Amino acid sequence: MEDFERQLKDALSRKEPSPSFEAKVFGAIAAQQTGRIRFWRWAAALAVMLLVVAGFWMRHERQIEERAAGEAAKARLQLALRITVTELAKIQKSVRTSTEE
Amino acid sequence: MITIKIAFFVGLALGQLSAQELKMPPNLDHLAAKATEVVDVTLDANLLQLAGRFLSDKDADDAKVKKIIGGLRGIYVKSFEFEKPGEYQDSDVEPFRAQLRSPAWSRIVGVRSQKSGENSEVYVKTEGGKIGGLAILSTEPKQLTIVSIEGSIDPDQLNELGGHFGIPKLGTDSPHKASKSGKDE
Repeated sequence: MEDFERQLKDALSRKEPSPSFEAKVFGAIAAQQTGRIRFWRWAAALAVMLLVVAGFWMRHERQIEERAAGEAAKARLQLALRITVTELAKIQKSVRTSTEE
Repeated sequence: MITIKIAFFVGLALGQLSAQELKMPPNLDHLAAKATEVVDVTLDANLLQLAGRFLSDKDADDAKVKKIIGGLRGIYVKSFEFEKPGEYQDSDVEPFRAQLRSPAWSRIVGVRSQKSGENSEVYVKTEGGKIGGLAILSTEPKQLTIVSIEGSIDPDQLNELGGHFGIPKLGTDSPHKASKSGKDE
């Protein structure tokens, strides 16, 4: 019985941690923090990269749309001018014909 | 004082009335259903500006067009071609013609052929001694064309376009061939 009590006492007695224990704990915390910081750095870099790519893509799409609209407007303009000049030519011809008559 | 105010507002209203742009009659739209060919071009100032950005300064033809549209505020064209005569009435174009009776507009050419049934009219709007608008109303038994150009335009510049973009030279034969290129929309 005495032996058991002694063993129990020994087990529950306060023991000083080894000198390297504190360093190990702080090291583990620092490693964890470094890993987290590294993750967020990569995440931020990826987000920035995605934003840049999305920006370029949107700009490219807008340019394509603008070009299509511009080419369509140009074609309409040419058609409008063609009809206008054609009508004027026709009127000019009619005037000339009636004058000659 | 009241008389001055009334005169001011009447003057303002008349000024706005004369500055008002021509409007394409909305009743023309029902003709599209009867027509075999329809050309409907609407180019406001923004679209003209956009088209201008795609006209090259290096290309001689483009440069001419760019010069023409530089002073324009809008180009509106409606052209209908029908299979048989009598598909449209004079009343269809009357709202357009009525706008051209305003003091700002003057008819410079009117050609009427009893034989062919063709009737063509050219109107110009003068703004400060310069041409500020051009309107063409051309009716044939099987064809109706209305052109409205708003803004400063030089007919000589239009003349220069002859022979380019499929545009016939002014005064040459078979001038209408180019306009029958098909539907715009």
